[in-house]
Amino acid sequence: MRWVTAKRLLFLVVLLTVTLAAMRITTPERTWSAPLEAKFRDILAPVQTGLTWIGRQTKQLVALPASLIGTAERNRALEQEVARLRSDIVRLNEYRLENQRLSLLLEYKQLMSHRFDFLAASVVARDPGNWFGMITLNRGIEDGVRSNMFVLTPEGLVGRVVTVADKTCEVLLITDPRSGIGALVQDVRTHGIVEGVTGGLGTVKMIHISNDAPVEKGQAVITSGLSSIYPKGVPIGEITDIQAESSGLFESATIRPYTDFNRLEEVLIVKTVLPEAVSSSEGG
Amino acid sequence: MPVPVFLLLLGVALLLQTTILEQVAVIGVKPDLVMLLTILNGFLLGTREGAFLGFAGGLIEDLLVGSYIGLNALSLMAAGYLAGAVGVRLNREHTSVAVGVTFISVMTGLIVYYLLSLFLGIYIPVFFALFRVALPTAFYTALLAPFFFKRLLCFIKVYGQEL
Repeated sequence: MRWVTAKRLLFLVVLLTVTLAAMRITTPERTWSAPLEAKFRDILAPVQTGLTWIGRQTKQLVALPASLIGTAERNRALEQEVARLRSDIVRLNEYRLENQRLSLLLEYKQLMSHRFDFLAASVVARDPGNWFGMITLNRGIEDGVRSNMFVLTPEGLVGRVVTVADKTCEVLLITDPRSGIGALVQDVRTHGIVEGVTGGLGTVKMIHISNDAPVEKGQAVITSGLSSIYPKGVPIGEITDIQAESSGLFESATIRPYTDFNRLEEVLIVKTVLPEAVSSSEGG
Repeated sequence: MPVPVFLLLLGVALLLQTTILEQVAVIGVKPDLVMLLTILNGFLLGTREGAFLGFAGGLIEDLLVGSYIGLNALSLMAAGYLAGAVGVRLNREHTSVAVGVTFISVMTGLIVYYLLSLFLGIYIPVFFALFRVALPTAFYTALLAPFFFKRLLCFIKVYGQEL
């Protein structure tokens, strides 16, 4: 073997050995880095960062015209999708709220089933003016609704049915100035008459309250049962103010009804007051 | 305004009034679109048209409600007539004038309504009638007048009705 050939062979062996050794010791899993390598990396890092940024920008610039093709179409589709999803959210939210309200009604219906035979109804229209308080419900003669049936919500009394058609009926709200209900201040057992003031006002008045009765703000008012329409004990509202009547013999009170008449959507029509309720009402 | 168009607008106003306007009620009061329609027509067209459209519109509203038929008819007639009577003496192309006339005419119409209610035996305390119903309704309705007035004015001009 010539000397030159042997030298080349040796160089190859050394090179292979060093390279293989370097490969072995520079695995990615290693926990250390050589000082030179680390220095090198640190020096190169800003340059690499700059170059990478330039590369990205260039790529975007070059790709922009291509990406613009169909963007308008995609944008329109996405906008439509967003609008549809928004509408879905509103609809689902509406279902959720309706579900909550109906659950409450159902719960109340089950709770009071020993007392009343109910029929659930939805409010479909309201009085067009601001003077009177009338609502139209989606139940009528076909559903067994008759005049003078009373209407309530789990919160309290709503009113009574005044006219009935085949599929709808009209309810005179307790806030209507034409409405009058025999009522009782629950705590002190004092009688009076609850009258509406104006349809949109949302409050009612209790008149002819005995002067010597210890009536106070915050006391609950319920139906007295002294009529053929409303049984005893249906909650009406809460006293918010008390005034002396002009005659000086009686007092009157402003009552905030438990039912929120501005947000009335579903109600219960009481078709029958069951005998147990009648007897308990008569018994006081 | 041609009667069929008025009836169509009246139908839409009544539908809105019995359904979604409840959602925009402020202190329990919603605007009176039927009265607004009547008053703006009366203001632009004169006493005769105002009174006629008011009576017709009110009668339809009464028939829809189904009770006290004539109550709305008379009060809207009064409001329409007044708007027409005031309109002939003022600049009828100015929106702010229309707003003022709407306010006064709605107040008048509602006061007539209140007096007729008393006549029917429906007692509403005067304070509540004036300050919780009539005044807020007139104010709210007058606020809506600018949104409808210019359109109605254009419509009437296009149809060649003399002002």
